[in-house]
Amino acid sequence: MQDNSSTLKYVPTTCPYCGVGCGLNLVVSDGKLVGVEPYKRSPVNEGKLCPKGASCWESVQKPDRLTHPLIKKNDKFEKASWDEAITLVAKKFKETSDKLGPRALGFHTSCRTVNEDCYALQKWARVAFQTNNVDNCARICHGPSVAGLSLSFGSGAATNPFEDVLNSDLIVMWGSNAVEAHPLAGRRVMQAKMKGIPIVVVDPRFSATARLADKWIRFTPSTHIALANSMMYWIIKEGLEDKEYIKERTKGFEDLKKTVENYADCEKIHGVPLETVKTFARQYAKAKNAVIIYCLGITELTTGTDNVRSMGNLALLTGNVGRPGVGVNPLRGQNNVQGACDMGAYPNVFSGYQAVAVAENRAKMEKAWFMKEGSLPDWYGVTLTEQITQCGDPIKAMYILGLNPVVSYPDSNHVKRSLDKLDFLVIQDIYWTESCEYADVVLPGTCFAEKDGTFTSGERRVNRVRKAVDGPGESKYDWEIIGLLAKKMGLKGFDWKTAKDVWDDMRSVTPGQFGVTYEKMEKPESVHWPCPTIEHPGTPILHIGKFSAADGKGTMFGLEYKQPAEVADAQYPFTLMTGRVLFHYHTLTQTDRCAVLHYEVPESYIQINTEDAKSMGILDGEKIKVKSRRGETITTARVTDDVAPKVLFMAMHFAQGVNNLTNTALDPLSKMPELKHCAVSVEKIKEA
Amino acid sequence: MAKKGEMLYAWTNDANLAKKAECGGAVTELLKYALESKTVDAVIAVTRGVDLYDAVPVIVTDPKALDQCAGSLHCGTILLSKLVTEYAPKLAGKKIGMVVKGCDMMGVLELAKRKLVNLDNIVMIGVNCGGSVSPVTARRMITDKYGVDPNKVTKEEIDKGQFIIEYEGGHKGISVDELEEAGYGRRSNCRRCKVKIPRQADLACGNWGVIGDKAGKATFVEICSEKGATLLSKAVAAKKLSTEPANPKGIEIRAKVEGAMYKLGDKWRKHDFEALAPVLWETIAKETSRCMKCYSCIDKCPVCVTLADKFKQPSLMIRPGVLPADQMFHLRRFAHIADSCINCGQCEELCPSEIPLALFSHAIRTEEDRLFEPKLGKSAYTN
Repeated sequence: MQDNSSTLKYVPTTCPYCGVGCGLNLVVSDGKLVGVEPYKRSPVNEGKLCPKGASCWESVQKPDRLTHPLIKKNDKFEKASWDEAITLVAKKFKETSDKLGPRALGFHTSCRTVNEDCYALQKWARVAFQTNNVDNCARICHGPSVAGLSLSFGSGAATNPFEDVLNSDLIVMWGSNAVEAHPLAGRRVMQAKMKGIPIVVVDPRFSATARLADKWIRFTPSTHIALANSMMYWIIKEGLEDKEYIKERTKGFEDLKKTVENYADCEKIHGVPLETVKTFARQYAKAKNAVIIYCLGITELTTGTDNVRSMGNLALLTGNVGRPGVGVNPLRGQNNVQGACDMGAYPNVFSGYQAVAVAENRAKMEKAWFMKEGSLPDWYGVTLTEQITQCGDPIKAMYILGLNPVVSYPDSNHVKRSLDKLDFLVIQDIYWTESCEYADVVLPGTCFAEKDGTFTSGERRVNRVRKAVDGPGESKYDWEIIGLLAKKMGLKGFDWKTAKDVWDDMRSVTPGQFGVTYEKMEKPESVHWPCPTIEHPGTPILHIGKFSAADGKGTMFGLEYKQPAEVADAQYPFTLMTGRVLFHYHTLTQTDRCAVLHYEVPESYIQINTEDAKSMGILDGEKIKVKSRRGETITTARVTDDVAPKVLFMAMHFAQGVNNLTNTALDPLSKMPELKHCAVSVEKIKEA
Repeated sequence: MAKKGEMLYAWTNDANLAKKAECGGAVTELLKYALESKTVDAVIAVTRGVDLYDAVPVIVTDPKALDQCAGSLHCGTILLSKLVTEYAPKLAGKKIGMVVKGCDMMGVLELAKRKLVNLDNIVMIGVNCGGSVSPVTARRMITDKYGVDPNKVTKEEIDKGQFIIEYEGGHKGISVDELEEAGYGRRSNCRRCKVKIPRQADLACGNWGVIGDKAGKATFVEICSEKGATLLSKAVAAKKLSTEPANPKGIEIRAKVEGAMYKLGDKWRKHDFEALAPVLWETIAKETSRCMKCYSCIDKCPVCVTLADKFKQPSLMIRPGVLPADQMFHLRRFAHIADSCINCGQCEELCPSEIPLALFSHAIRTEEDRLFEPKLGKSAYTN
């Protein structure tokens, strides 16, 4: 029988961009990817897409994809066979490990690639080299959420699904510009507004999301804790806390109460008038069901983990966790940032957050992974940006799967200097990126449209990714490349034939996801983990009746406000904030290859307040120079009142852009660098 | 020899297909015959994807493979018309058979006006459509209003003003009016639609008006063109299909059903348009101010045709990269489609910002049609 699907095939899959996990159909005609059509059957987005999702097919089949392994010889990259490349990489990593031990290696995996790849990479690192120096880029987006929410609630993930905001009586968006960064989660807020649910947006900037709000609260950048503490002071002072909930379900109230006593009025820190704070506090406390949605405005600071815990404090104090319409929900940044963490591509946990420090966990993994008893390391591995700092000493060889650190990590100049110090760097990617210049071997992987697998969205829903077309040239599935390396080294347990094999390998060692099978993911409703058994329906809402923490309690913490690591001063008088724009994703590798997205935002720009621009004689659209202690960048001024005087906003996507300026200072608890806050100066460029 | 204007009952002579298909399987049989007889080179039809809430278009060249397309999917809200030009370049110049509901048909007619498709090469088998329900809404509706697990539903249909489901252990119908009052039911554009029997296709088929011993066993076919008459006659001559004249009482009933649908359509137009009339500008301004420029309303609109070098044209009124979208972003589209919006609803259904786009453009079109000569000539349909 003739295959009638050969001329037109719809492949239902998951969008490769943000953590909302929208469904879409890739359209294949005669083996070529020709478009995206709506997948209206998806409960996440009902066929609707943002500009990135709607154009995501365009970046797949471009002539400049990586098609062959490349090896640097005499400072030039030359095409190599897979056999040659795999042999070289396995040999170099083995040699380094034999000579210098497990701390001389570093492994980075991307939150943009499928769970199967993330699991494969961390397994190889741990089995082959007994190292925990494995991390993913959640470290520079929602690492503090994992740390903070784990401390507050016992699980580092979002408590409630996106759609659940429609069951709420008050939606607080704090440091989240969902309309641009998570557009189809933004849509849920738009729907809520149509239902008449009040929306408060707390953001230093009048963002696209702030425009939706019934009340926009502008505050001084990075003063979250002062503002939250002040709210809690008034909630307690007026007796609006949920006493029964606090008694039954939480601990730490006294600690919190004592700390917030000093925050009755701290307008001079956070800039919000006292009456506004009081009104907002009452509104949040009195709402029957209130939900907090937050994002990187909360996390990408040296106080990231404490900021997250402050959101937890507010919710616990008012009894807003553990039922529909409430909760604390981080909007996870990348398509698989939840999943990359879940898979154990993390320096202190195996898949499913099983701590490496616990002997039974190690013993279980050693057995499952055919390892010698006692061989897995118990130490906390080195985190993502700390690994960059350790390049050269003690890290000598590094493996980077699907990341572009030269553009996306803080302080680009520092990253470049560090990568230069490595003896051996492997980059596995789909396109030649700015970081590939620093590699010794570049391996061609496959993108979302070319492989099967899964992405876990920000609502803990495991969404299927389905192969629509073959990868270009000799490219391979990313987990397959890892498997080849492991097998080259003679290791057992890497003989996967399909993505499902990798997934089932992971399931077999991960109790919380054991019940999440490919069969159950066939329909787009799929499953929200935790899902411990095959019969289990999944868990859309966490902490019902009991928190996930060992003692079943939610914990409140007394947390003091601290300044960012670098604040504006006479020499660098502006505060620079960073974020996403709707039309681009991360370092442009994919989005800038889509015509419409390039048309909308072809180059970087900086938002500067009207008064500041006027006083400096800067016109809208003029090129200006922005400098920090770490570097400088030239960009286009957008003059606007959306940012306050002396505050600037710049998007994160561009090479020679904002990360020439950003600060590497770390949050002590989560090792998150302070990407959202640094001090800069602004100069007019003298006319030639 | 059947003639244009005739009304018949028709059913397949293939007992297996009759079992699988609905109402005598005439539509599937006609398409099969069109392929077998090389009347067409390919058929564009719709099949079931992951379940009965998932409608997926397919291009079929093997007549046997058409069986998979038998049966209706009221929860499939896809539009086929633009697929012909967008995704089937190899079919250019070839003969195509298509199953069309009213909006698919209107879309094809609009493309033909723009010379993007050649109607001589297309055989349109029209199917009656009282409106469709978006899949996620349908599932929620079945959970909330029917108290049934939507995964257990085996069949759904819209009949005698009711949305009826069959499921493991029973069947249940609720009036569409009641469902729509409660915020469920058909898409809002479908509620306003008045092209329920697609008479500008070559054949208009459906189950309305099939009564007596043929009820449920035959399809009502109205022959709308010479092309349609020829296809049907040949299929009968080839002993693929049997026909008999439609029961006059059945013809009356069919007209009544259509009349009731028109009335309902008029009710919704009155409801939607009268509410909009006094606050038109401010409503458009307010609603479109949420636009996130996904371009779906342009890309998926069957009557929007853009320039190849559109991204090279600088605009004085629509600044790239700026949110909310400048007002001209939507005004220029409303202007472009003013005399050709077919009210298919795709723009609105696909809008991530929940802007009631079809409401606006349908309102503009209906008022425009009352006053102006359309630029591309009068349409064969009115909606």
